[in-house]
Amino acid sequence: MEVMRVWPPADDDALLAELGTALREAEQVSPAYLTAARGAFAWRTVDADLAIAELMFDSACDPEPAGLTRSGGDGPTRALAFRRGPVTLEIEVTGAGIVGQLSPATGGRVTARTAEGVFDEAVVGPVGFFSLAAPPPGPVRIDAHTAEYDLATSWVVLA
Amino acid sequence: MTSVDGRRAAPGAGPEVLVAAAAAGDQGAWDELVRRYAPLVRSVIRVHAMEPADAADVNQTVWLRLVEHLDRLRDPGALATWLATTTRRECYRQLRIGRRTQPFDPYDDSPIAAALVPDPDTPDEQVMRAERRQALREALAQLPPRCRELLAMLLGDPPASYRQISERLGMPVGSVGPTQARCLRRLRESPALAALLVGPAPCEAGRR
Repeated sequence: MEVMRVWPPADDDALLAELGTALREAEQVSPAYLTAARGAFAWRTVDADLAIAELMFDSACDPEPAGLTRSGGDGPTRALAFRRGPVTLEIEVTGAGIVGQLSPATGGRVTARTAEGVFDEAVVGPVGFFSLAAPPPGPVRIDAHTAEYDLATSWVVLA
Repeated sequence: MTSVDGRRAAPGAGPEVLVAAAAAGDQGAWDELVRRYAPLVRSVIRVHAMEPADAADVNQTVWLRLVEHLDRLRDPGALATWLATTTRRECYRQLRIGRRTQPFDPYDDSPIAAALVPDPDTPDEQVMRAERRQALREALAQLPPRCRELLAMLLGDPPASYRQISERLGMPVGSVGPTQARCLRRLRESPALAALLVGPAPCEAGRR
């Protein structure tokens, strides 16, 4: 089996050939990829005061935990859960939009953005419920600002 | 290795140096990270047959994730593995969402089918090879300048002859072969090639 062979290759010509492949590959990254990658750094300062809530569950690729309930309705629903310490932010995404639950519930505000800017904002209800517009393509992040905590979800493609 | 300014960071500066500088706000260090690791991210994306728009979304997501994790990477020295793992996981997620992915016929002549059919290796093997190519680039960057120049000339298009190398580097023609062998040995023994690990399962959302 190819991958079980000794690596790096003991043969000089084989090593040189592999190095050549590696170097050519480095020249083939499209400018658009590089621009997007460099541009991501602008979010460092924007994020500085926000704790990141990590993505803990995504129904698109993780096995369903027992007891998860779905609201159903507008076609296929995707459920995601983010957590930071004791705070969880759960959302359900359909073609109609995003509905979410922030807990513990302390009111506040959520802002949904792409790397290009804010696409929706909403007030968080007294029981932690909020709803947002359907996400545009590309990575999305939801920021939550409450009297007791501020956090931002990890970036994730929703649609 | 002491500079925190990526624009002046030594070519062999380890990823942990660049990560620390970028976490402190050094755009130059970030640009160097991008220059160095964008080929790895792209290669891992290419392992997964995706529409160009989906592939671009994965690329952007991975770099945004790295920004948010700059000061929280468990092992910044193993950045290549973190990037390969994160990229795989996001590719898998993107494929599962299936937004722009069309069912395809493996025998049609679209670029996706062409990219899929000829490679009999599993994604695991292909990602491992992408990590190896990344390690080779890093190992090369850590070699002495003379070795880097000699190997670059040998790998030119067309490759330089021993005579041309001898003239450029000011060494006897008879020394080129032995020097090449010595440089390749140093490359092979580089710490950058040691301890290459394959990442965990592709869709372990968020957990590191």
